[in-house]
Amino acid sequence: MWIYDRKLQYPVKIKNPNAAYAKIIISQLGGPDGEMAAAMRYLNQRYTAKYGEIIGILNDVGTEELAHLEMIGAILYQLTKGLSPDQIRAAGMDQYFVDHTAGIYPASAAGVPTDMKYIGVKGDLIADLNEDLAAEQKARVTYDNILRLVDDPDVRDPIKYLRAREIVHYQRFGDALRIAQDRMNSKNFYAYNPSFDKGCGC
Amino acid sequence: MTRESAFLKDIQAEDFALYEAALYLNGHPTCPDALAYYCQQRNKVKEMKEQYESTCGPLTIYGNHDQNCWQWVSTPWPWEKEAN
Repeated sequence: MWIYDRKLQYPVKIKNPNAAYAKIIISQLGGPDGEMAAAMRYLNQRYTAKYGEIIGILNDVGTEELAHLEMIGAILYQLTKGLSPDQIRAAGMDQYFVDHTAGIYPASAAGVPTDMKYIGVKGDLIADLNEDLAAEQKARVTYDNILRLVDDPDVRDPIKYLRAREIVHYQRFGDALRIAQDRMNSKNFYAYNPSFDKGCGC
Repeated sequence: MTRESAFLKDIQAEDFALYEAALYLNGHPTCPDALAYYCQQRNKVKEMKEQYESTCGPLTIYGNHDQNCWQWVSTPWPWEKEAN
């Protein structure tokens, strides 16, 4: 089970609301490479991850992604707090506002609600860990793109922190893939692993 | 049932009672009976968890007391039958 820790993993303190920024940053809440998808991907993959070290990495990175989901929620909340209808219209947030007001709803920047089609759970260590490595890189690129579009240092600071965490997670999943490959049959050159799934006919 | 799993079952029961009291307090933040129960139960759960972690292994990522081994990845995970 989980216990809620009543603190953000890294502080979020934004002086100036800006709905236009919220409109793009929301993709890291509910977009294809967002924190919601990341948490669901790792926390569901962990059950069948076979080795304690790899289960630990999936469990604890997945848990950290929930903390990142909260940081993105805090950024969106502070960016949209106290805006007038005119400000919302001018920023192009009116299409979101009509359905959700200033509520925090997991969707992509293009307005598509979050979807578990964004994640993969193959039940195979090599397949799942390669998906995870790619997911961390895709999230890092999304943060790079947000940093290309956002000037406010109050917003950039926590976004830079989250970007750095994607790189660290990529390294931890690299550890996990190395551990999995080290435990495969040494005669297996092709990174599929008959010993994980005996009787598959290969 | 092993000694560890019997102990864990007791912790689950006491922890559940504490959580239930906390949920109730959210809607009744000044209820003196609930606050007194929460304080007493919190101490009981804290002691049980400390004892469990020092003998059986970590309950959270911050509860690894073995200085020579990262037991977090070597003890059964909660979804395994062996842990229940």
